[in-house]
Amino acid sequence: MMPIFDLPPDRLTEDLVERTMYARDLAPVPEIMTRSFFQTLPDAIVRPANATQVADVIRQAASLQLPVTPRAAGSTSYYNAVPVRGGLVLDVNSLRYDISLDTARQTVRVLPGTTWFELDDTLRRQGAAVRSYPSSAIAATVGGWVSTQGHGIGSLQYGAIADQLVSLQVVLPTGELRELTRNSDPPLSWFVAAEGTLGVITTVELGVRPRPAAESHHLFSFDDLDALGTGVQSLSHSQPRPYTVFFADAGYLALLERAGFHAPGARRQEAGGPPPASRLLSPASYPAGMLMVSFQGEPAAVNQGRDGLARLPGRELPSELALEEWSLRLYHLRNKRGGPSLLATDIWLPLRNLAAYLAGVRKLAVRSRQQIGSYGLAITPEWGQVMSIYPTDERRTAAYLAAIGFTKRLHDLGAHYGGRPYGVGLWNTPYLSRLFSRTDLRELRRRKALLDPHGIMNPGKLYAAPFPLWPVTFAPAATALSLAHTTFLRGERRSP
Amino acid sequence: MSDSTFFQGLDAETTICAHCGFCRAVCPTYAGVGWESCSPRGRVHLTQLMLSGTPVSSEQMTRLFQCTVCSACTQVCPTRIDLRQFWLAARAEATRRNLAPPGLGLAQANVANTGNVYGYPNDERAGWAEYMDDAPADLYQRETAEVLYFVGCSTAFSPRVQPIAESLVRLMSAAEVDFTILGGDEVCCGFPLQVAGMPDRFHDVVESNLAQVRAREASTIVFNCPACRLMWQEEYARHLPGVRMLHATELLAELSAAGRLPLNELNQTVTYHDPCDLARNGGVYEAPRQLLAAIPGLKLIEAHERRERGMCCGGGGDMEMVDPALSQRVATTTVDKLAATGAGTIITACPQCVRTLSRGAERSAPGVAVLDIVELLARALT
Repeated sequence: MMPIFDLPPDRLTEDLVERTMYARDLAPVPEIMTRSFFQTLPDAIVRPANATQVADVIRQAASLQLPVTPRAAGSTSYYNAVPVRGGLVLDVNSLRYDISLDTARQTVRVLPGTTWFELDDTLRRQGAAVRSYPSSAIAATVGGWVSTQGHGIGSLQYGAIADQLVSLQVVLPTGELRELTRNSDPPLSWFVAAEGTLGVITTVELGVRPRPAAESHHLFSFDDLDALGTGVQSLSHSQPRPYTVFFADAGYLALLERAGFHAPGARRQEAGGPPPASRLLSPASYPAGMLMVSFQGEPAAVNQGRDGLARLPGRELPSELALEEWSLRLYHLRNKRGGPSLLATDIWLPLRNLAAYLAGVRKLAVRSRQQIGSYGLAITPEWGQVMSIYPTDERRTAAYLAAIGFTKRLHDLGAHYGGRPYGVGLWNTPYLSRLFSRTDLRELRRRKALLDPHGIMNPGKLYAAPFPLWPVTFAPAATALSLAHTTFLRGERRSP
Repeated sequence: MSDSTFFQGLDAETTICAHCGFCRAVCPTYAGVGWESCSPRGRVHLTQLMLSGTPVSSEQMTRLFQCTVCSACTQVCPTRIDLRQFWLAARAEATRRNLAPPGLGLAQANVANTGNVYGYPNDERAGWAEYMDDAPADLYQRETAEVLYFVGCSTAFSPRVQPIAESLVRLMSAAEVDFTILGGDEVCCGFPLQVAGMPDRFHDVVESNLAQVRAREASTIVFNCPACRLMWQEEYARHLPGVRMLHATELLAELSAAGRLPLNELNQTVTYHDPCDLARNGGVYEAPRQLLAAIPGLKLIEAHERRERGMCCGGGGDMEMVDPALSQRVATTTVDKLAATGAGTIITACPQCVRTLSRGAERSAPGVAVLDIVELLARALT
């Protein structure tokens, strides 16, 4: 029992079934990888109603040196919000709404458990809009996205979430409630992408934009990846800057059809029944890639952006398809229906290497006989965020475990082209050296030691790889699993 | 988002579920409880535990039934799971494993013993007609008719919503519709048993109602209860080829369009609440709005949360039997948002919504009236 917490009974639970729901995120991980090495099952869940209660809980946890893992939507897949040393999960979802728009300053204050969709929906009724949002905006919370890298739809035009923040209210690991700005000590920037390891965000103030007076969406298909890569790069540098540029390869389109959905630009398939495996693996059935570009803002700028598309290589698809693709921008997970499980790598990649990376993925897919689809966004003029996904089935535990190892092949391919993982959590800690320079990592660890000397906030994440994820143990194990996966796939394809 | 949804069985769909939490953000009962286990993805997880043989108690499985089956989750699910079908199948599996809340057994016993979910003498089904000053001697019970009005348990027995039945028969009479009701020959449609996870328990009521409909030779069946209509479309329609099954708003909209429903001016401002079983689950959005537009002088202020994004009243899916307090919390939230439109009257098109929203309004918006659209139309009748 945890009698120390002075919370109403409906705000603390030790129910076993309830706790199991906080011991996972999007990616199901076999118990052999979790319970053998980590205590992913929290001892209790607390659900504070306000910042004062958050501070009370943290203060009491600090006095007991009890680990605290803050959690909002739990919609990442690297165990960013899953405990690895038990303790408390602090569910911040009760800190929701209280949306206060300052029209003159074009800023909004909002509680961290509000979803991006809810925030934008509310702002639009008041003549404003969020500047950018994650592609999981229906579930993802404002506080959660600040705690990750915060790049997504709209980042190309408006920058990362870090660029939009005005202030944060946080509870530090001591239980102290603080208002942070860009110039405070510590500055708010320390809490961006800190993944809840430095405290709990309890209010966010960020810049907004006027509700766009006009928007225009366009969809293009490409017969070769070089043209797709060139198109994405040229749009990312163009003026006026597009609101967002989305791209996907033939593998992504094939996965859409595998899942039972229409793939824009795909050659018409035979009526009735699922597409044959030969079609799903045949690049000839699909364009090499597709690109969706969206302009938003004042009508003149939107028109100017649209006029500039005439120079874009590729074939423009009908406007109704572009509109449909725009309406589906938050629904890429529909591909999972073709899985039934889906594994993925999410990387930052220099856009100059996009075509080469996608070609590399295609070669890897053919060589390994693993269907892989890639899609992503241009998030700065130079960088893209690329998700490479592949179907599997978590119900076949051994094969699924091997399939998890295959993520390393994709990460290594990304690294070969200058990429690095997007987000850390637990499962990307083996790649810390790809994510941060030694100097940067030293600085991050210094901040952690300064603010959280007892290491109670979301321990086991971000700063160092815990065993068995040390690179020296992880790399050979993941490589062996990956080999087992491709051997298994080859055998499966050969069998009738 | 695509309209296509899928249900390939509980095992497949629990695996396909991405646990992304899109559903959680729109779930009215999650908002009222706050624990992950009361979110749709939590309920999927709970179902997965049950299927895998992990020990779960009936108390823990109550979360599966603390759900109004409003389908807001289906609307946003990126993997396009037909979550309504999922909840019905999961509840059936829980019931099969004796993990259903005990209160639902009473509903089943009432239907089996009396023919209605309340356990009242079924002969009193047409009691509401007896109270009418202008009811004909046959109390609208005729041997045959073109239209059969299936009244449903709530409207037949619940005093708060009996005026809906009175209003509908007045409107149909005014439009000279050849209709009948079944009176004591009508039994529960089986919907409360379907959502209670007892699909094997409503065979008898379906057979009984089918026999009565065939005997009346009706070509159209009309319902003022969207849940009854949904149940008939899902479980009866295949046995009655060629028979139309319409919600009252659909029939009345047809009559209005044909000029058979002359309406007087009503100078009032209303907002409209889309019942889940009529709108998201039933696909009827336009007919009620066409009827409201047909009333001269009436001003409709639409709520921001409307149509596919309409808010649940808290009363669906047997929630009142499982957790009446949660049902009320959901109702209050919905009333607050509807009252924020500034309209003095909330119009809906479902007896259960009228009951729950009325109680919600008593608590949070005492000056706001709640009416079924059929009642409103009857007031405007020339």
